[in-house]
Amino acid sequence: MRYIIGIDVGGTNTNACLLQIDEAHQGQVVKMAKTPTVHENLLFSTKQVLAEISRDLTVQDWTALEIHLSTTLITNAIVEGKGDPVATIVSPGPGLCLADAGLSIPLSSVGGAIDHRGRETAPLDMDEIRNALRGADRQGAKVVAVVGKFSPRNPKHELAIEDLIKREFPEFYPPTLGHRLSGRLNFPRRVNTSYLNAMVARLQREFIVKISQTLQEKGLSLSPDPREVPERPRRKVFLLKADGGTISLEKSVTRPIETILSGPAASVMGALALTEARDSCTVVLDIGGTTTDLSILVHGKPLAEKDGAEVGGYKTVVPAFFSRSIGLGGDSVVRYQAGRIRIGPERAGKAAALGGDSLTPTDAIVLTDGGSFGDRHRALAVMKEFCQKTGGSLQERAEEINQAFCQQVVQAINGIFAYLNSRPVYTVSEVLTPRELKPEKLIGLGGPAAYYLPRIARLLAVPYEVLPHYEGANAIGAAASRPTASISLRVDTAFGRAMVPELDFVSSLSHPALFDRKKAEQLAIKSVKEYAGQIGALHPGARFEVDEEEVFNMVRGFRTVGKLFSLRAQVKPEVIKVSP
Amino acid sequence: MEEKEACTVHDLGLVFFPAFDWAISPDHPEREERLLYTRDQLMEEGLLDLPGIIEYRPEIATEDDLKRTHICIPSVPVVASKSHLIAAGGSITAAKAVMEGRVKKAFALLRPPGHHAMRLVHGSRGFCTINNEAILIEYLRKNYGSRLKIAVVDTDAHHADGTQDIYYNDPDVLHISVHQDGRTLYPGSGGPDELGGPGAYGMTINIPLPPGSGDRELLFVTKHLILPILQEYQPDIIINGAGQDNHYSDPLTHMQVTAEGYAELTRLLQPDIVVLEGGYAIEGALPYVNLGIILALLGMDYSRVQEPNKERDLVIAAPEVLETVKQVVGFLQEVWSKRRDINLDKIFGSDPCWRRKRFIYYDTDDIHEQQGDQIRRCALCSGYRVIHSWAQKRNARESRVAVVHLPWHACTECRNKAEEAYDRLNPGAQLDRVYLQDVENDLFLEK
Repeated sequence: MRYIIGIDVGGTNTNACLLQIDEAHQGQVVKMAKTPTVHENLLFSTKQVLAEISRDLTVQDWTALEIHLSTTLITNAIVEGKGDPVATIVSPGPGLCLADAGLSIPLSSVGGAIDHRGRETAPLDMDEIRNALRGADRQGAKVVAVVGKFSPRNPKHELAIEDLIKREFPEFYPPTLGHRLSGRLNFPRRVNTSYLNAMVARLQREFIVKISQTLQEKGLSLSPDPREVPERPRRKVFLLKADGGTISLEKSVTRPIETILSGPAASVMGALALTEARDSCTVVLDIGGTTTDLSILVHGKPLAEKDGAEVGGYKTVVPAFFSRSIGLGGDSVVRYQAGRIRIGPERAGKAAALGGDSLTPTDAIVLTDGGSFGDRHRALAVMKEFCQKTGGSLQERAEEINQAFCQQVVQAINGIFAYLNSRPVYTVSEVLTPRELKPEKLIGLGGPAAYYLPRIARLLAVPYEVLPHYEGANAIGAAASRPTASISLRVDTAFGRAMVPELDFVSSLSHPALFDRKKAEQLAIKSVKEYAGQIGALHPGARFEVDEEEVFNMVRGFRTVGKLFSLRAQVKPEVIKVSP
Repeated sequence: MEEKEACTVHDLGLVFFPAFDWAISPDHPEREERLLYTRDQLMEEGLLDLPGIIEYRPEIATEDDLKRTHICIPSVPVVASKSHLIAAGGSITAAKAVMEGRVKKAFALLRPPGHHAMRLVHGSRGFCTINNEAILIEYLRKNYGSRLKIAVVDTDAHHADGTQDIYYNDPDVLHISVHQDGRTLYPGSGGPDELGGPGAYGMTINIPLPPGSGDRELLFVTKHLILPILQEYQPDIIINGAGQDNHYSDPLTHMQVTAEGYAELTRLLQPDIVVLEGGYAIEGALPYVNLGIILALLGMDYSRVQEPNKERDLVIAAPEVLETVKQVVGFLQEVWSKRRDINLDKIFGSDPCWRRKRFIYYDTDDIHEQQGDQIRRCALCSGYRVIHSWAQKRNARESRVAVVHLPWHACTECRNKAEEAYDRLNPGAQLDRVYLQDVENDLFLEK
């Protein structure tokens, strides 16, 4: 019997769950725990909830334990602008002016250029780069990010700069290189991602050390120790990523940026772990104190962001579930304007029923749906005050607040679906088979979900399901997550070259003319296995798949000169099914 | 993001449809790969993340949309593939976004192209089957005002003979085509003396450029002829048929225009709607030219849009080339300024009908067509038109049809005469089918 502890550090509460995993890899909830999140000291909340949830575990249990942690550490650092000063060296080549690329970070631009097929069209000037690095040093930069336009098509320039840093500027080694973070094309997003990754690298290192110490106190060693018995399990702590997968704690040191936005991912994973969402389109609503996070499952698979996550106003290439935050939650402000009740988007503070001073949707719940929590008298007091100001009876107004809340959520849902349905597609067959998405089922979690979900579902005229353990279902989601990893393979048979940027893999094809789709798929799978091994995502039951594939004939002057293969392969995203 | 969807007006609407699963044939220039490198460049630049730009999904043009413009023989589904309907539909999507004020400008960056497709369509010619610009123009006139003054400026290296054919006698559509001299390139037409039919004389302007012309020549024509004409004409909408095969690296033409030249042209022209036409230097030109056009449409700096190896490959034309261009421009300036005073009888004769015979070759589908075309010279409208067409496809029976066409704002007399003509013409030994196209009433009859 083995155990997984899932911890989700949320904005209001830190939730934890203990799962027991059986032989068939099915989970059973053994225990749930929760503690208020101490925003200034996330580690404290984590330690506290960990102590609580693991109280009854034996030393024997500890040796076969996995801990899955979904934390807002990196997200918060980015939003609050904490982290090290970064020197970002970019080689933008020809095209859009750097100043117009919508980048809000200081950049140091150098020459050199790679084109869309990965050809070097202008060489690097190493002295120029030395100057840039000296300048960065003078300005107090502590870390360096290096990004070239089209670097996923040919990382040569980024690697040359890394090599220079290693030899001549060891204080900046290792830098974050753009091509290793993503094989997808989007230079400005890659610049942002690399910048942020470099900025939070030290925070992540410190976090890893502290977590390791905490666990060592519990007798769980993280670092590979040669004196350890070989079969003794190591590497047992994983961090949740924005794509609902996990990355091992120590491997996250090179890619901390991937741990952003793990909160919404934990909600989706919770829904996947606890339900059989096979409907063609399910909306997952995590109704929290400040916001309601919306995600979408299409035939049971989470919809992903097309280009990557957005965090703190930075557009990134980090793979993420599609998620939108609606400024409505149990603690939102309630206003009365022009004869109508408007809720949010600001947070009012704690609900009166829970010891706060202002009227919130939570108070309305306490008064109408017979919420069996909170102080009914306090709720009544603020509601009376509201009724005096606005007229109307107590029950009516409370009911109106509930109704307004749900209507605003429905409006937001409709807006999000209108956007999704207008998204462009690029092939004839996709245009001809339009997938008009519309909500067909609701799944809800979060404190207020039990009260609001039935009403929202009624307005949308769809069935709904409130998750078991809905208050802490995101911790179950974190526990039920499995590692994910993906790579991009690009093969250009005219150049006789294959490459996987995430692996720094560049190789010459021995027989370019014989290279075909099957070989491409094999190479992609082989590469993703290797990569998964590198980032600690090679779990025993891992399956691999090619999830995107593009093949083009290259014709020059009415003659076929080669083929272009662009593949993406991944560890098949999985979830442990959990019974409540 | 959905926030971008909201009420704000964007600088540019982009309808990008590369048709990655459609080709004329596997090694044809008009193949899947054509916009691949353009997509890569636009993606890597992160253009779609810019706040001023919004991407739209193309709609599918309907059979009615096509019948307002074309007579497809034998029928729309036989002639036009799904890709064609999406390319035409995407052009409509772009135009709608502009007309509804959702965007200031729009770019239909899509394929297959359309500007060689004429009113009658027996098949595909010059890689084109249906005319994207014309279909969008007819959509606009139908939905946003039949008296819209429209200007089409076609900057493809090949003469826009299809668009010219459709609007040759249309007084509300000014058609300007600047292209490599037809004596040196497909389709061969587009001389400066092709100036429009009796109902719209001077509303067709052709500016042939000598092979080897570059930015200097193209921008000279733009500044000294196209812009002054547009300034005087004051169109409601300017549509740019943006072929990119004047590029110095294009394999099918012999011109020396650069990406920066195209961007500059776009900045000067300030078109409302841009529709991609040809351009087959898919790696060396299209990624840069399309980027340049988009930046110019956004009013952004395009000075860094530079092709690699431009210094090595670009050939600047001899000064004599510009002199030749100046002569053509001088001739056309004079025609334009005197277009209303010209005695049309001297050009079209004094018959009540203007008749012409034409041979049209469909190179892509290898079809030989002969047309007998007569347009009534009418003082009140641009005159109804009767076209007899005989088309011969290899290994197939000759197809013989007659078409009666009623233009926008046809007068009662032309209307009556057209209906009589349609009644008189009947399928039989001489004719396979007879069509009546009445654009104003959105009426399309066939028998």
